Amino acid sequence: MSTITVTVNGKSYTKEVEGRTLLVHFLRDTLGLTGTHVGCDTSSCGACTIHLDGRAVKSCSMLAAQADGSILTTIEGLAPGGELHPLQVAFNDEHGLQCGFCTPGMIMTAADLLSQNPNPTEREIREGLEGNICRCTGYHNIVRAIQLAAERTAGVPA
Amino acid sequence: MIPQKVDYKRAGSVAEALSLLSANPDAKILAGGHSLIPAMKLRLNSPSLLIDIARISELRFIHEQDGGVKIGAASTHHDIVSNATIRELYPAMAEAGELIGDTQVRNVGTIGGSIAHADPSADWPAVLLALGATINVEGPAGAHDIPASEFFTGFFSTALEEGEIVTAITLPAPSAAHQSAYKKFMQPASRFAIVGCAVAIVADGGTITDAKVAFTGVSDAAFLDEAVAAALIGQPAIPETIEAAANAAAEGDIHINEDHFASQAYRKHLAKVYAKRALVEACGL
Amino acid sequence: MSNYIGKPLSRVDGVAKVTGKAKYAAEFDAPDLTYGYVVSSTITKGRITHIETSEALSLPGVLSVITHENRPKIAWLDMSYKDQDAPPGSPFRPLRDNKISYSGQPIALVVAETFELARYAASLIRVDYREAPHETNLDTNLHRARKPKSGLASLLKPPPPKPRGNFDEVYAASPAKVEGRYSHSPEHHNPMEMFASTVVYEKDGKLTIYDKTQGAQNSQLYVTQAFNMSFSDVRVISPFVGGAFGSGLRPQYQLFLAVMAARELKRSVRVTLTRQQMFTFGHRPATIQNIALGADSNGKINAIYHDAVGETSQFEDYTEIVPTWSPMIYPAENVTLDYKIVPLDVFTPLDMRAPGGVTGVPAIETAIDEMAYELGIDPLELRLINYSDRNMAEDKPFSSKELRECFRQGAERFGWAKRNPKPGSMRDGHNLIGWGMSTGMWEANQMPARAEAVLTVNGKLRVTSATADIGTGTYTIMTQIAADTLGMPMEDVLFKLGDSDMPLAPIEGGSWTAATVGSAVKVVCEELGRKLFKLAQKIPGSPLAKAKWDDVEFVDKHIRLKQNPAAAVSLQQAVDQNGGAAVWQKSTSLPAMMKQKNYSRAAHSAVFVEVMVDEDLGTIRVTRAVSAIAGGKILNPKTARSQIIGGMVWGISKALEEESVMDHTIGRFMNHSLAEYHVPVNADIHDLDVIFVEEHDDIVNPLGVKGLGEIGIVGMPAAIANAVFHATGKRIRELPITLDKIL
Repeated sequence: MSTITVTVNGKSYTKEVEGRTLLVHFLRDTLGLTGTHVGCDTSSCGACTIHLDGRAVKSCSMLAAQADGSILTTIEGLAPGGELHPLQVAFNDEHGLQCGFCTPGMIMTAADLLSQNPNPTEREIREGLEGNICRCTGYHNIVRAIQLAAERTAGVPA
Repeated sequence: MIPQKVDYKRAGSVAEALSLLSANPDAKILAGGHSLIPAMKLRLNSPSLLIDIARISELRFIHEQDGGVKIGAASTHHDIVSNATIRELYPAMAEAGELIGDTQVRNVGTIGGSIAHADPSADWPAVLLALGATINVEGPAGAHDIPASEFFTGFFSTALEEGEIVTAITLPAPSAAHQSAYKKFMQPASRFAIVGCAVAIVADGGTITDAKVAFTGVSDAAFLDEAVAAALIGQPAIPETIEAAANAAAEGDIHINEDHFASQAYRKHLAKVYAKRALVEACGL
Repeated sequence: MSNYIGKPLSRVDGVAKVTGKAKYAAEFDAPDLTYGYVVSSTITKGRITHIETSEALSLPGVLSVITHENRPKIAWLDMSYKDQDAPPGSPFRPLRDNKISYSGQPIALVVAETFELARYAASLIRVDYREAPHETNLDTNLHRARKPKSGLASLLKPPPPKPRGNFDEVYAASPAKVEGRYSHSPEHHNPMEMFASTVVYEKDGKLTIYDKTQGAQNSQLYVTQAFNMSFSDVRVISPFVGGAFGSGLRPQYQLFLAVMAARELKRSVRVTLTRQQMFTFGHRPATIQNIALGADSNGKINAIYHDAVGETSQFEDYTEIVPTWSPMIYPAENVTLDYKIVPLDVFTPLDMRAPGGVTGVPAIETAIDEMAYELGIDPLELRLINYSDRNMAEDKPFSSKELRECFRQGAERFGWAKRNPKPGSMRDGHNLIGWGMSTGMWEANQMPARAEAVLTVNGKLRVTSATADIGTGTYTIMTQIAADTLGMPMEDVLFKLGDSDMPLAPIEGGSWTAATVGSAVKVVCEELGRKLFKLAQKIPGSPLAKAKWDDVEFVDKHIRLKQNPAAAVSLQQAVDQNGGAAVWQKSTSLPAMMKQKNYSRAAHSAVFVEVMVDEDLGTIRVTRAVSAIAGGKILNPKTARSQIIGGMVWGISKALEEESVMDHTIGRFMNHSLAEYHVPVNADIHDLDVIFVEEHDDIVNPLGVKGLGEIGIVGMPAAIANAVFHATGKRIRELPITLDKIL
């Protein structure tokens, strides 16, 4: 066991974790943040994507211990203060989701993409989301949602 | 989740990492963990201790050195592809880095971790071979250098000795007429290379004076294809040269991988097509 | 009144899903929750001779290892394990005995205080087997093909009709003939959410189960029967499902094991399968088909032969409707069809998006393309020559069929008229370009269902039915239907589903939910409306006092006289008249059998596809596709369009990517992860276009809807295969069309 201190969605937690505990299980089982999902065992699907020190990472491919000292954001903390994040609004408006299971990971990856490239082309969006699988929507509306969020936030610093 | 119990220690320096490693022969070095953790989840690897070197500041840097570039082993793929000097001097590095995994993987995975893992389908090994890189290593006996051409020794195996870690990768200064390119045919689901081809050529006044062509994904380890290089050196940089050289790819006495996605014959075919595409780009044709 | 139906509205569950608040089966908490991990068989067939659990049990925190040796007593009749989608046969019973019937069969459940511990303990279990030879290869076992047993499932999946006319004679004399063998590999549903059940053990031994399912009541039925429990002691809840595509039509083994463990330990238990274990239950069966078509020189198809052989397990006879699609689309007078199955040492196959349809239709639609080339007639023209408003499999007219309009609008949008029919005639650099097309078809069924509606004293409407929303949009369209029926704003309507305590609804499958549950919601709201109307009439001085039901309409939260909108009573006033109580109604909707029985009911599509084939590599990209859909009334173009695009991507995937690769020497699916089983990612998808063709149908059901879950996928594979032929001149009859088949 080791003790880790992480800041998750603005709140600091100090917890005992086993060496083998994956970050995603720490978030879901220890902190109860079940918006971060698990869809595979092979780092393929991206459903577990969160932000670690501001960058999108797959929380199923990291140990909780590796995150010690880091600032984490999950889907639950993407929009502090109750208002929805522009990507959340756009995914809802453009129907960028169906079953919703991949959605938190998609949004977290898209948020990283827009922070690097506020005005991506359709190809850049599709390639930027290559690590996230959606089995329902056929991706079209996901791309549109990200384009819409980019348009709506044009000129607004992230 | 990982079935086996494992301890975790974060090393504060290379020296600490080395001493932990020598005290725990069963330990594994953990950098980004994007090769190791998936392997542990599948029980392919069950170390008793993980020594995390990802946050050792002396391992995470990219700086110019003697006209070339030295890359700290804990630099992430993202660090590398977003470095302006690397993009300018070694286009093959940028092309390869952008094709590794996906955004999330590139944010965490490191070049040192990738080459120490030596997956036969990983991208970096081919590029490092083509660029003539040197792998900087430290271990109980001190620091030493291993040329990339001697580093990748086989299926998931390297020239690293027990207790050694990769500390940096040094890319030599490119000559004035140097060009490089990396082209990859990826497994659509895993995004690993079915065939990846890295080329570095020097074309002086229309004649190819030096060439290195390396493949990943084709055999049990990345390798330099000497036959292709030989067919290029001394020849004019024209489509006919490339065509002939590419056709020499993956011939000779090498083991060719095979899986349900690509047969040996298809891999061999891909090696030629990708050699051609990489050479066309490097020669600016 | 239609304020919402037909409008492109956002999902009512959208905000919950974009904020991570929507909870799936593995996300419900319980006090003192324990975690189960399933141990899977590593052999394909044989017996367990010894299973050693002591090392696992010795770990502190490991609570139990349940195997066939120590499991509690369970029901012994096959009948007790029959769920609503069970094919004829003897359903698989986890941990029944030491017999191994397929690779990956669950053989033990380890229960521990933490997930990590359960998995570690599972790795310590040692199993000895006595192996027996297995057969998993359909191709080499075709000689064992036999007719399937019939049972309840045969009602929905009837065998092909008897031969009509004389195929042999007419085919022999036909001036134009094509013949081919068509096949596809097995596929797995692979919804993003893994199967999971959280079984909450209540103080009195009652169970509240959060299950991943397409039918909460189906899971409830299964648990009550298998464990001899009463319905009032088992409640199954499933508000959100992370995709299913048919995989949730039957209760999966994690449910059985979690319930068994919870009852044994008297603790709450969660069992989640791994992605690898998602390849250890139902799949789309490998199927091999033969087709022969005979046509006259004008292109009229006079003779059809179509047979199919599908795989099934050794314990159940899973079947699909496969050859029957040929006469459903093409009205030949001489037709011979046949369907058989081969039992193999695999798990029973399971309905997967457009089961049978996306098997049979691509085969006949590829054969039709071959016939078009044989005759030198444009493939669209050939389909128009053989167009029929009758379904010749049943010899009934269609209740509606706007396929002709689909052909017209789809062809125009795609630019089909500009096609040069010669294979290999279009290219762009080292890419060969091909255009292909196909018809798609799926039956429009309606089942009986019940719903409840309550208008609360605050004037809010709450409607419930035990159906599911696997991402299809059930929540949203039911809210629209309820709101429109009672003239209320959607914000005032709450539709709830996915709870076995709710009124009876069938499993959510076969594209019948919009028709089935939608009709129930409409009926219950209408009947609630009648109650409200009566209450409104009782209000002293009511302007509606003398009105008849047919004189009024529900608009803007009021009951109004159609002829005199000023004469109105608000719904709030009507509820207030109920003595301080909510107004409640529970109703049943039954298909109008007398009206429907003389017609065939189906959705249709016309699909046009462009592919680019890289000459050097054999890689294929679908660069452009247009799907024109005749699917009856479109309740919500936004959710509908997404369903069709999603289905089209499944079609691309089926044609080019998806296959579960079986190593027959060991009898196991080898690519059992998302790193090896290729489903499309964002970068694989290009331009996809959907057209909804206007189609009116008042026979199919009161809403005029046909369901859209399957019709999007059905036409895609053949359109792609035909486009590949047009690009390369290579006729590929084996799906998926992988690189080696092109080069």
